[in-house]
Amino acid sequence: MNTAYNFAFFDEGSKREIRRATLKAIAIPGYQVPFASREMPIGRGWGTGGLQLTLSLIGKNDVLKVIDQGSDESVNAVNIKKLVSDTTGVATTDHTAEASLIQSRHRIPEVPLKKDQILILQVPLPEPLRYYEPSENETKKLHGEKEYSGAWLMLFEQIMKYGSMTTGADHPVMVHDRYVMAPSPIPRFDNPKMNESEALILLGAGREKKVYAVPPYTKVVSLDFEDYPFEPESFEDKHCRLCGSTGVFLDELVDEATDETFYQCNDTSYCIETLNEVEPFGVK
Amino acid sequence: MTLDIVHDLQSVYRKLVDSTSRPGLISDLSKQASLVEEEDQKGCSASLLLIALTLFDQEVSFKVFSPQADYVSQTINQLTYAKPTDLKKADFLLILQDAEKGSLEEAIINAKAGTLKNPHTSAFIIVEVDSVTSGEALLLKGPGIHTTELVHLDINENWVESRQEKNKEYPLGIDLIFIDQNHQLLALPRTTQITRNRVIEWDM
Ligand SMILES: [Zn+2]
Repeated sequence: MNTAYNFAFFDEGSKREIRRATLKAIAIPGYQVPFASREMPIGRGWGTGGLQLTLSLIGKNDVLKVIDQGSDESVNAVNIKKLVSDTTGVATTDHTAEASLIQSRHRIPEVPLKKDQILILQVPLPEPLRYYEPSENETKKLHGEKEYSGAWLMLFEQIMKYGSMTTGADHPVMVHDRYVMAPSPIPRFDNPKMNESEALILLGAGREKKVYAVPPYTKVVSLDFEDYPFEPESFEDKHCRLCGSTGVFLDELVDEATDETFYQCNDTSYCIETLNEVEPFGVK
Repeated sequence: MTLDIVHDLQSVYRKLVDSTSRPGLISDLSKQASLVEEEDQKGCSASLLLIALTLFDQEVSFKVFSPQADYVSQTINQLTYAKPTDLKKADFLLILQDAEKGSLEEAIINAKAGTLKNPHTSAFIIVEVDSVTSGEALLLKGPGIHTTELVHLDINENWVESRQEKNKEYPLGIDLIFIDQNHQLLALPRTTQITRNRVIEWDM
């Protein structure tokens, strides 16, 4: 542990500020609470908002997992883990079930989250209405008045144009029947995991200086229309080439030699755990 | 042992996170409270002081309800640099155990509730009570609660009705934190719906 730094990098004043904002965020699910985001020794856009939440929460007994697009081993995930463990001495893990704090970019893990865990999602663009309303003052007003016809219109235009809701990641959700919220760029596949989640979910946007929350057991509904219901990405009839899993989020890959398409778990630690489970039975 | 402002206050914060995100979940602050110096507890409880040390600084304003309000305000200001202010402006309202009857209702009615654009600019009300594990039964519903939670609170005021009135234009509203004499903490954010759970009492 490097003692030249404060515990968890931050000074106590910075922690207090984001802690006050976080408690307010939990009390008003889906509402973006402004906070005085600090400079972080990692590149912008690589999760400074999530990192600040992690640093404000973490204590000596925590076990930290960091994933970037499903991978524990990506450069960003490794850098964030290193910064946090160098300044706190806390243990890190790849196993979702062992972690008390999970910081993630672009995914909610496949292993269902539990009561004693907190999921921290990194958010590049926290404002779901920004797509059609550039002014912060206006979007705040729209949220205040629960005036979301623009959000529905945006989805409707996509349906008209493409015949379906091609939102890809970051499909907007309605939280506690009140706030339209950007779930961060998770695939639509992960949206339903936010609904009535056992774990607290905190979302942090560093550049935009916002923190927001989905408390446990809170209603989260993906926006859709009766005629065009919300549909997560489907991997029907497909399985992971490595561990054989179905019903998980799969990456589509192409074997360059044979030009064949195959699939692999996007959540690499889940894939490895599944592999280790089936190995004793001699199944591959 | 003395209070470690980094690690002990981190523990206090996590308990605040736990109890706020799971209304009805009682958090135990007794270990950290036992580390608060006697000489700092001038007129208020160790657990209230812990919350102030965790969340207060020069950017925060507060108001104390107590016959000794000036004295306690001075202590909190010296320890945290937070500024005492009027009831209607304060970020935190602190209702001490010895506050006049009706103080909680008065605080709830007059506290700032935020605005539609900025509902977070509302007050937290922190209340010292005898017990958060005995007294009137209250049934809780809302975010953070799987179906329902039953809690017991010992407060001799019509605060439930005042709170309901104050919070009826969600997201405007106030968030409540109760701490008792055994340093047990219960949080009731504005999203929690409370029903008084009246049971039939038999004449003995
Ligand atoms: Zn797999």
